[in-house]
Amino acid sequence: MRRIQLPLSQTQKVRLQKTLEQLESLSSKVNSDASVIIADSIPVNHEDGVLKGHGTADLNGEVVATVCGVVERVNKLVYVRSLRSRYKPEVGDIVIGRVVEVAQKRWRLDINFNQDAVLMLSSMNMPDGVQRRRTALDELNMRCIFEENDVVCAEVRGFQHDGLHLQARSRKYGKLNRGQLLSVPPYLVKRQKQHFHHLEEFGIDLIIGCNGFIWVGEHIEAKDDMVEDQVSQSDPQVLLHNSVSLEEQERNYTILETRKYICRAANAVRVLSILSFNMTLEIIKGIIDLSLSMNLDIHEMLGSEFCVLVAEKEAERRSSNKKKR
Amino acid sequence: MEIEGMVVQQPTMGSLKRKSPEESSTSASQPLHDCVHHVSYPHGYTHPSSPPTQTHAEPAKKFPFTLDPFQSQAITCLENGESVMVSAHTSAGKTVVALYAIAMSLRDGQRVIYTSPIKALSNQKYREFKEEFSDVGLMTGDVTIDPNASCLVMTTEIWRSMQYKGSEITREVAWIVFDEVHYMRDRERGVVWEESIVLSPKNSRFVFLSATVPNAKEFADWVAKVHQQPCHVVYTDYRPTPLQHYIFPSGGDGLYLVVDEKGKFREDSFQKSLNALVPATEGDKRKENGKRQKGLVLGRVGEESDIFKMVKMIIQRQYDPVILFSFSKRECELLAMQMAKMDLNGDNEKENIEQIFSSAMDMLSDDDKKLPQVSNMLPLLKRGIGVHHSGLLPILKEVIEILFQEGLIKCLFATETFSIGLNMPAKTVVFTNVRKFDGDKFRWISSGEYIQMSGRAGRRGIDERGICILMVDEKMEPSTTKNMVKGAADCLNSAFHLSYNMILNQMRCEDGDPEKLLRNSFFQFQADRAIPDLEKQIKVLEKERESIFIEEENSLKDYFNLLEQHRNLNKEVRDIVLSPRHCLPFLQPGRLVSLECTSSNEDLTPIFIEDQLTWGLVVNFERVKSVSDDDASVKPEDASYNLDILTRCVVKKDNIGKKSIKIVPLKEVGEPLVVSVPISQVNTISSLRLFIPKDLLPLEARENTLKKVLETLSRFGEKGLPLLDPEEDMKIQSSSYKKASRRIEALESLFEKHEIAKSPLIKQKLKVLQRKQELTAKIKSIKKTLRSSSALAFKDELKARKRVLRRLGYATSDNVVELKGKVACEISSADELTLTELMFNGVFKDIKVEEMVSLLSCLVWQEKIHDAAKPREELDLLFMQLQDIARRVAQLQLECKVEIDVDSFVKSFRPDIMEAVYAWAKGSKFYEIMEITQVFEGSLIRAIRRLEEVLQQLIAAAKSIGETQLEAKFEEAVSMIKRDIVFAASLYL
Repeated sequence: MRRIQLPLSQTQKVRLQKTLEQLESLSSKVNSDASVIIADSIPVNHEDGVLKGHGTADLNGEVVATVCGVVERVNKLVYVRSLRSRYKPEVGDIVIGRVVEVAQKRWRLDINFNQDAVLMLSSMNMPDGVQRRRTALDELNMRCIFEENDVVCAEVRGFQHDGLHLQARSRKYGKLNRGQLLSVPPYLVKRQKQHFHHLEEFGIDLIIGCNGFIWVGEHIEAKDDMVEDQVSQSDPQVLLHNSVSLEEQERNYTILETRKYICRAANAVRVLSILSFNMTLEIIKGIIDLSLSMNLDIHEMLGSEFCVLVAEKEAERRSSNKKKR
Repeated sequence: MEIEGMVVQQPTMGSLKRKSPEESSTSASQPLHDCVHHVSYPHGYTHPSSPPTQTHAEPAKKFPFTLDPFQSQAITCLENGESVMVSAHTSAGKTVVALYAIAMSLRDGQRVIYTSPIKALSNQKYREFKEEFSDVGLMTGDVTIDPNASCLVMTTEIWRSMQYKGSEITREVAWIVFDEVHYMRDRERGVVWEESIVLSPKNSRFVFLSATVPNAKEFADWVAKVHQQPCHVVYTDYRPTPLQHYIFPSGGDGLYLVVDEKGKFREDSFQKSLNALVPATEGDKRKENGKRQKGLVLGRVGEESDIFKMVKMIIQRQYDPVILFSFSKRECELLAMQMAKMDLNGDNEKENIEQIFSSAMDMLSDDDKKLPQVSNMLPLLKRGIGVHHSGLLPILKEVIEILFQEGLIKCLFATETFSIGLNMPAKTVVFTNVRKFDGDKFRWISSGEYIQMSGRAGRRGIDERGICILMVDEKMEPSTTKNMVKGAADCLNSAFHLSYNMILNQMRCEDGDPEKLLRNSFFQFQADRAIPDLEKQIKVLEKERESIFIEEENSLKDYFNLLEQHRNLNKEVRDIVLSPRHCLPFLQPGRLVSLECTSSNEDLTPIFIEDQLTWGLVVNFERVKSVSDDDASVKPEDASYNLDILTRCVVKKDNIGKKSIKIVPLKEVGEPLVVSVPISQVNTISSLRLFIPKDLLPLEARENTLKKVLETLSRFGEKGLPLLDPEEDMKIQSSSYKKASRRIEALESLFEKHEIAKSPLIKQKLKVLQRKQELTAKIKSIKKTLRSSSALAFKDELKARKRVLRRLGYATSDNVVELKGKVACEISSADELTLTELMFNGVFKDIKVEEMVSLLSCLVWQEKIHDAAKPREELDLLFMQLQDIARRVAQLQLECKVEIDVDSFVKSFRPDIMEAVYAWAKGSKFYEIMEITQVFEGSLIRAIRRLEEVLQQLIAAAKSIGETQLEAKFEEAVSMIKRDIVFAASLYL
C-alpha cells in the first residue's frame, strides 16, 4: 500500500484502504514480478542478441539492473523503467522549467533533471516574430525575454555536446505568467499527444510538463497567427502598438473568478499528487467538477475527506473503464 | 498529338502558358526575352497599409552586366520582401536571383538557406557562393563546413530533417532558396520538397528556381495559400542563345535542320531526314540479337560508326565543344571508346590536362591511383574526350567537370544527370538516342527532358546559337518528333506519398499532425483545384445528354446491344484470322484486302463497319520493332506487323504545315499512295491477287494499278469480292474460331426478328443513341474522379499506416509515439520499419562489425545486377534473416490494408554488394573490392556513403534506447568504412 500522509479518521482510513486495494486489483499484474532493485539480475533466458537499454548493465554476461524499477521489454530490448526518480528527458517532450541563470546567448533552466537544461537565444522565437540572426544587442536584451526565476515552457530538443537543449517551436512556448507552478513526481505524468490544454469553461490554461512541473494559469491566446505576424513584420508601428498593449496587459490583473479557478485546478493537481495518481486532463477536470458540484471551498479540496472521495471516484472510473473494455 | 494548335494566351491574366514560338517570332517589335509576371495573394490578404520603411536605395548586390528583364523583375520582388518563383531555362541565369537573395540577407543580418537536390551540386554551389560571399557554410550528408555561417548550402533532405529536429536555424532563416524545385515531381524524392516547403517557418520568404514549368502560377498559388503570403511568379521562355535543332538519321551522313533558331519547324527538311534514314537490314538485326541499342554502338564492320561520323562532322564544322547525351552509363562508356582514333587536343592542352588531373589525383593513395578507372581515364581526357555519369568515381567526375569548364574537353559523353545544375554549357548537344529506359520500359524522351538537356547547348556570349542534334535510328512519327523537339515543358505535378518516418515525426511533435501536412500538400491543392472544373464538366455533359430525345428508346437500345455483340464477335473472328500466324502466308504482294478508312469523327466508333471500307493492294509487310526490345525472344508469329498497302489517300496539310494522311474510299478524290498500316486495320482478305508493277514510284503506275482494282471490284458487283475462307483456305482449326462463328450465325437470325431494324431512319437513330450512351459513360468516369479528389487525399492510406505503426508497437492508439517509433524517427536513409525491426530483434547484437556493415549494405543498394554472385554462407544467412523480417513487415502492412507488393518489397533488398562492403569494412583496398563486384565505382561509393549516413542515424537511435554497446559498435563501423577514396573530399571544397 502506498504511503499516503494524510490525517485520516478511522472510517476514512478504512475507506481509503479498501479503495487502494481495489485499485491494486485493477492494475495489471504483469509488472508486479518484473520490479527489480539495483543489482538484481534480469532473466533473459540465454537468448541471443538481447539489447540492454536504459537502467541495465552487463555484468559477467548477466543483465543487471542499475536502478530500482520495472523491467520493460520491447522485442529483444530489455530496459528498466525507474520509479520515483528525477525526470528523464526524451526528445520531443514538453517541459516547464524555471530560469536559474541568464548566460551567454542562453538561459539555464531547472527542469527537474539531474542537470540544468539549456535554452539558446536562437532557439527562442523573437518577440516580434522576425526571422533573423541574433545580434549582440539581442544578447544584451535577453532579460527582456526571460529573467531569473521566470517560468518557461519549452520542448526538449535533444542532447548536444554541451548538455540538454530545449527549444520553442512556436509562439505558444515561452514565458508563463499569471498562474501557478506545481511540482509533482514526474512519473505521474504520462506522455500524451497533447500537453497543452485550454479549459474553456474556466478560462484557464493547463500545461502538464513531462518533467512533473505543471502550470495552471490564465488562458492566453497564442499569438501564432501568421497574418498578424506578417503585418507586424512589415509595419513597425503596429509592433510598437503591440508592445504598449503588452504593458497594459501587465497592468490589468486577472479577475477573481479566473484566479479562483486557477487555484481550484492547482489543488486538483495537488490532490492527485498526494494520492499518486496519473495526471491527465480528464482526471483533473473531473476533480474540479467534483469539487464544484459539492460546493467545496478551494481550501477544502486538500482535506482528507475530499482526497478519499477522489480516490473512490477514481477506483470507480477505472473499474468501469475496465468493464467497458 | 498536336501542339501547334495551342491557343496563344496573352500573358496578362489567368494561367500561364508556354508562349508559342511563332508569336515571338512574328511580332518583331517585342523583345525576345520577354518575361511574364504574376502575383498570387493568399485568400483575404490585404496589402500592408504603409509601404515598407526599409527601402534601400543601394541594391544589395550589383552585377557587372545588365540584368535581363526577368532577373530585375524577380529582384524587385525580393527587395519588397516577398517570395518569388522564377521559372526559366537552365541557361537563362536564374542564379543571379539566388545570389541577390543571399546578398540581401547578408546585408540585413538574416540567415539564408540554399537547398539543391544533389550533393554534388551543393558542393559546387558552396564553392561558387564561398568565393562571392565568404560567410557560407555547407551541410550535406557527407560533410559539414561551418554550420554557423549566415548562408547555408544544403540538400533538401537535410533541411527537412533540420525542421523536424527543430534546429535553431529554423528561427533565424529569413530567406530559403529552393533550387531546381521542379524536382518536386520526382517519384521517389519529390515529396521531400513538399514537406520542406510546408514545414518551413511561417515568417520566412522563399525563392524558388525552376526549369520552365507551364503551371508555375499554380505552384505560386499553393505557396501563397500554405504560407499566407504573396508569392510572385516570374516566368520566361527566353534563351540567351537561340537553338537550332537538327536531325541526324542513322546510317545517313548529314544533318537536317528541323527547327531553326526562330522556332520554325521545317517540314520539308524533316521529311528528307526521315527518307535518309537507312534502316538496319534484316541481317544486321539478327546479328545484334535484340540489342538494338548497340546499333549505334557497334557500328558495322568496315565502316565508321554513326557516332564517330557525327563527332568528326562536329569537329570539322567547329561545332565543338559538344555534349553527347545517352541514357545509360554503359552506353556512355562504349560510345567514348569508339572515339579511340580521335584526337582533339593540341600538345599544350594535353600538358594542361595532365597537370590538372595529376594534382587532383594527388589526394588519392597510390593504390587508388592505380584503379583502372583512374588510369584509363587520363589518355582519353588528353585527347579531349570525356565521360560523365554517376558510375564514375566522384573525384573523376569533378575533374572532368573542371576540365570541361576550362574548355579542355571538346567532346563529352554524359548521362542525363549532367543536364542539371551548374552552368556547364557547350556549343552543341547531341542526343545519341531518342528513347530512354524509365525503369520498366523504353519510351520516347519527353519534351520536358528534351528542353532540360538541350538547355546545355549554346554558351552565352560565346556562341551565336546553340545546336541540338537528334540522332534518329528508327522511324519516328513526325508528330512524336515534333512533340519532343517543340513540345511544352512538363508540368510540375505533385508526387506526394506517405512514409512512416514522416508520419512518426509529425506525431511526435506537439503541434504536428500528419493530416495537417496532407491538407497543406501540393497534391491536395492540385486535387482541390480540379473540383470546380470537374463539376462544370459534368453539368455540361448532363445537359447535353438530357437534350437528346429518342423515340422507342428501349427497343432501340436492345437492337443496339445486339449490334454491338455482333460487332464484337466479328472482331474476335477477325483477330483470329488476322493473327500473323494465319494470315502472313497470304499477304503476298498484290493481295487484295479491304481496310478501314481513317474515320473523320474520332470519338465515335462507327456502328456499321461496312460504311467505312475500302480496298487496297498489299505491297509488302514488315515487322514492327517492339517497345520492349526483346526481338529475339518474341517468336515471329507473335510479333506485330505493318502492311504497306497501295490505296487511295488524301494528303492534307494543315495551316502549320503538319502533314496527315487519310485513307479514303477508292472512288473519292485523292492520290494513290503506299501507306503503312498495322494489320489490325485490315478488315478482310480476298482470295484474289492482282499484278503490281515493279516500280511503283511513278504516279501513273500507281494510278493504273488502282484502276485495275476498281475494275475488279465492279466485275464482282453486288456480291463483293470472293474472300479467303478461314476454314477451307486458311486452315484455321481453333475451337474459339468455331464457337465465335456459330454465335454470329445465331445473332444474325435475331436481327431478322427485330422490328426496329426495318425503320427507315435506323442508322441516324442508332448514332444518336450511341452519342447518348457515350455521354453517360463520360459522366460516370468524371464523377468517379470527383469523388476521389474531394476527400482528403491519402486519408485512407494514412489510417492504414497508422494501423501498421500501432500493430508494430511504434505508436499507441492515442497517437503517442513509443520507444520503437522514436527509433524509426531517426532513420531516414533506409527503410525505417525494416531497419528498426532488425535492430529490436537483436540481429546486430551478436554479429561482427563487418558482418553488420555488410548486412546494412542490403538496405542502401538498389541497383539491379544480373547474375551477381551470391555472398558467402554466413552473409547469406544474415541476408535471409533480413528478408525474413522484411517479409513480415510487408505482410503486416498488407494485413493493415497498405497497398504493397510483398514480393517486390522483399526483393528490393539486394545482397549484391555484401561481399564488397564486407571486404571494405575488413580493410581491403578499393581496387581489391572492385575486383569482387561488377558494379560501377561511383555507384559503390555512393552506396557506402549512404551506408555511413544510415550508421549515423543508427548511432542516434541506439543512444535514444540507451544501448551503449550497440552505439559503440555502430561508431566502430563508421570508423571502419570511412576512409580513403570512398570518402575523399570533393574537389569543390
